[in-house]
Amino acid sequence: MKRALPVLVLSVAGLIPLWRYAPSHDTGSASAATAPASTPSVSSSGGTTSTVVSGSTVDTEKGPVQVEVTFDGDRIASVRMLRQPDHPQTTAAVPRLIEETLQAQSADIDTVSGATVTSDGYKESLQAAIDARG
Amino acid sequence: MGRVEHVMGFPVSVRIDDEDFPGTPVDDLFAWLREVDARFSPFRPDSEVSRLDRGEVRAPSQGLREVLDLCEEYRIATGGAFDVRLPGRRLDPCAVVKGWSVQKGADLLSAAGATRFCLNAGGDVIASGGPWRVGVRHPEHADRLCTVLDVTDRAVATSARYERGDHILDGRSGRPATGLLSMTVVAPTLTEADAVATAAFALGREGAGWAAARENCEVFAVDADRRVLRSAGFPAAGAGGVAAA
Repeated sequence: MKRALPVLVLSVAGLIPLWRYAPSHDTGSASAATAPASTPSVSSSGGTTSTVVSGSTVDTEKGPVQVEVTFDGDRIASVRMLRQPDHPQTTAAVPRLIEETLQAQSADIDTVSGATVTSDGYKESLQAAIDARG
Repeated sequence: MGRVEHVMGFPVSVRIDDEDFPGTPVDDLFAWLREVDARFSPFRPDSEVSRLDRGEVRAPSQGLREVLDLCEEYRIATGGAFDVRLPGRRLDPCAVVKGWSVQKGADLLSAAGATRFCLNAGGDVIASGGPWRVGVRHPEHADRLCTVLDVTDRAVATSARYERGDHILDGRSGRPATGLLSMTVVAPTLTEADAVATAAFALGREGAGWAAARENCEVFAVDADRRVLRSAGFPAAGAGGVAAA
């Protein structure tokens, strides 16, 4: 279920160093086992270099997983799933969000969550009123 | 007992309901937060974060390594939308430092025997024991709420644009994240709730589903079209206790 996501993330995290270090340590057969499954494709546009790398397929307990990572220079621009387990539990991991209308309400509360960062904002806030009440 | 102090650039309120709870652990809590500010603020030139950013720190402290590891975890998990190292900007791990340090501060109170307390750091809440009623500020009306939660042993964090404007950037584009007005996350710890709320906010509207898919996270998001997106398990208080106005 939701456990599928950390597995995928770990797979991505694990593949990146393999690719990044492969070129500088490419001394032959030793690195062959850890090299990515496909050759990176590089394209340049407007001064930045975009590199797309497909990772090798990793077998997880839910099935095979393969990701494609797009680098913008040295940074990761995006990560895309090329293969993911076709398993009912993975499908169920996509959460169903309930859509509602935004409401404004008042209520008796103990504390307030909300970006209350500035001093002026705090002075005007419900939280300040609660703190003053003690 | 209750105490309010301004530290790390925001107000921190603590209310402890355990009878005769001593003041020393509360002093320790605020001393820890002041120490965190001195060590991790990117706005202080002599902080460890600023020195690291200038290349003057060879071996970051254990605490800073924890923070940077968390930042990297969320950068990867968001495909680069959450990124504390943006081109042309200073290293700014504030979003992670806040939740991480306030959670550690709350752990000091728990270790000293506090069982029922509520800690609010700039709108991010740790509710220990309970149940506690936590209101979520309405994104457009500072004196109103958009929902109320009943929580026990949970943390609640909200990221929003209403106080500091477009301060959260989408690392994928380098531009302000504008898909959401407000993003509230409920999680077991504030370390997670705060980081997930900020990272989801950076992702924009897709961040609501992304956060809801994380184990133990419940979300309440208001998108730019003023629609509410909430997870099925979000612990909203029963309608009986809320007076709609």
